[in-house]
Amino acid sequence: MASVGIKLHLLAAIALFLGGCSDHRESAQISSMELTYWPAPNPEEIRLADTLVGVWNRLHPDIRVRMQPIPVSQSTEEVLLAAIAGKTTPDVCSNILPGAMLEYTSAGGLIALDEFSDFDSVALGRTPKDVLETFRSGDHYFQIPWKTNPVMMFYNLRLLEEAGITKLPKTYGEYLAAARTVTRDTNGDGQTDIWMGERDIRPIWWQRLFDFFPFYIAASGGKTLFENGSVAFVNKSSEEVFQFFQDCYRNGYFPHTYFQGGDPFLLEKKASHISGPWEVATLRKFAPQMRYDIVPVPVPDDYRGPVYTFGNFKNIAIFSTTRHPREAWEFVKFLITAEHDLLLLEICNQLPIRGDLTANPLFGDYFRRNPKMTTFARQAAFTREMDAAPDLKEIFDAISQEYEECCVYGKTPPAEAIRAAAQRTQLIVNWNK
Amino acid sequence: MIRKFLHKFRASDRNSYWFISPYVIFFLAFTAYPLIFSFILMFHRWNIVSPMEWVGLKNFERLVLDSLFLKSLGNTVMFLLIHIPLQIVVALGFALLLHSRVRFRGLFRALYFLPVVVSGVVVTILWQQLYSYDYGVLNSVLSSLGLPRMPWLVDASFAMPSIALMATWKNVGIYIILFLVGLQDIPSELYEAAAIDGASRSKQFFRITLPMLNPTMIVIMVLSTIGGFSLFIEPYVMTGGGPMQSTLSGMLYIYNQAFYFNHMGYAATLGFALALVILAVVVIQRKVIEKDSVA
Repeated sequence: MASVGIKLHLLAAIALFLGGCSDHRESAQISSMELTYWPAPNPEEIRLADTLVGVWNRLHPDIRVRMQPIPVSQSTEEVLLAAIAGKTTPDVCSNILPGAMLEYTSAGGLIALDEFSDFDSVALGRTPKDVLETFRSGDHYFQIPWKTNPVMMFYNLRLLEEAGITKLPKTYGEYLAAARTVTRDTNGDGQTDIWMGERDIRPIWWQRLFDFFPFYIAASGGKTLFENGSVAFVNKSSEEVFQFFQDCYRNGYFPHTYFQGGDPFLLEKKASHISGPWEVATLRKFAPQMRYDIVPVPVPDDYRGPVYTFGNFKNIAIFSTTRHPREAWEFVKFLITAEHDLLLLEICNQLPIRGDLTANPLFGDYFRRNPKMTTFARQAAFTREMDAAPDLKEIFDAISQEYEECCVYGKTPPAEAIRAAAQRTQLIVNWNK
Repeated sequence: MIRKFLHKFRASDRNSYWFISPYVIFFLAFTAYPLIFSFILMFHRWNIVSPMEWVGLKNFERLVLDSLFLKSLGNTVMFLLIHIPLQIVVALGFALLLHSRVRFRGLFRALYFLPVVVSGVVVTILWQQLYSYDYGVLNSVLSSLGLPRMPWLVDASFAMPSIALMATWKNVGIYIILFLVGLQDIPSELYEAAAIDGASRSKQFFRITLPMLNPTMIVIMVLSTIGGFSLFIEPYVMTGGGPMQSTLSGMLYIYNQAFYFNHMGYAATLGFALALVILAVVVIQRKVIEKDSVA
């Protein structure tokens, strides 16, 4: 009897064990079909990601996506590199800076998207071939182009009109001439109250993506820092850009200090502002009364031809830590459908990298309602991206240091500053060979 | 062979090895291992994320051509040239005051030592507020006296002296204590004999006090030099190395290379070079001071 009891207990234990195993396996299968998606941590993109992930999860209950904004840090690139090092990367991220691609791929952090059989049809169905080509890393594509934010010049029309300026400045000469009357002390206390422009004077590398770099691309007719792998920015165009900013600071059109207590453009304390399409939504929200217009960044007086600028592209990639590459790719394709590109426009005011952006009737209504965004959409065809060079952060830091010394403090002539920046860039490039 | 070794490793010795083991483990983990690893790193390129890549002497080649490293060393020397004399004069002055029969001597000693025990970051943030061009207390005082505002941290020629002044305030307490110890070691008979011979107070100071404090001076100069070359928190928090890299110290440059640009191998090479520079400066300093004291 006792032995029967023991056997029964044993049987029950085995049944429980197997049952437990079976349950566990089942739940593991369910949880293993979860993808993690990191969007950029700004409120608009979080809202977009929330919406898209909600739709996806309703349509695909078997492949659930968990949205988690990129942890806030000094830069997304630092977070992603740390995540690659710690093998804590998400499955999909939609805030990939093409300039940082080399670091990600050399660390083996990303999977090649062109290994999916339908990559060509998906990518070329959305993005023109020549644009897509600029995102190739060696023999593969590790990113799919997603959005662009062309950097342009915003002008406060009221401040210009008060100074008697009716034509928006489009060249350095026009800008500096306007600055002479726009920059003024309105209450007679001896302090300037209205500035022509303002930039963060700290030598932070990415700040140059919103002054020197777009201005250089514009002044040079679409050139970037490198040509065939060699440093190529020692020329008249880069010197003219440094000279222009030096003039702005030296003549007091730009302040040598930080503004305390808010964004000076929103507060209508400065007449011009270098920014991207996201600024339109910011202005609508925080300064609805402001009258403004958007034009390409100023160019040298003798410049002729289309005005290019920095495209500020952000792309989507799948990380090599993913256990479900096929499902992750399906999710990426879902993010870039025409309908979801329209949501990107509607919610974030950012431009999808599409060949048919201005021609597709799906987007027509949006651009009719948001005529300011049409300016950016037109500019999108004339954009350039950061070079695919190693150590871009340090290269831009080197340029920043010279920018500070030459433009902000006027201690070195532009030609000398550009030569010094190029020399240090060459040192960095040689060290990386 | 092993048996022989184990035989030597007697039971009584074994206990002593247990006692020293915490230090040995700590030393191996936090001194020996990082040193060896840094040495290996000097011949590699490594960004923490990717595998280490052997580059031979490439990091040293870059070091030779790196004008920014030279600039950071120049900035550090500039800091030392202001900081060390200022530190010695101020510390000696306060030590002399505290050595005399002043009331509340214990309280003053504690007060002067207080900045030493306060966190460096806290002190730095506090001084950053004091130095603020627009809202700082120092400029408010200057303005109220009808004097122009000073660009303490925003002008390349002012920033490093401002940092040196702050570092002196922060560290002076420890050097006051060292000078006090030195002063207490001077036999009072020397002063009595000098007084009988009619030596004035100033003569007693220059002929007795200063020469007798020479060993203390050597210690303070060596400590200040090594401490000065480690200048990091102050420029990191207050200026980030600017304006125009005028406060970029050697340590800050190494930190930037390691943790801002992820160049671990090159940062290790810079660290090695900086250690050599410190060693050379300290050796020269000692030789000069010892030669002077013998003369």
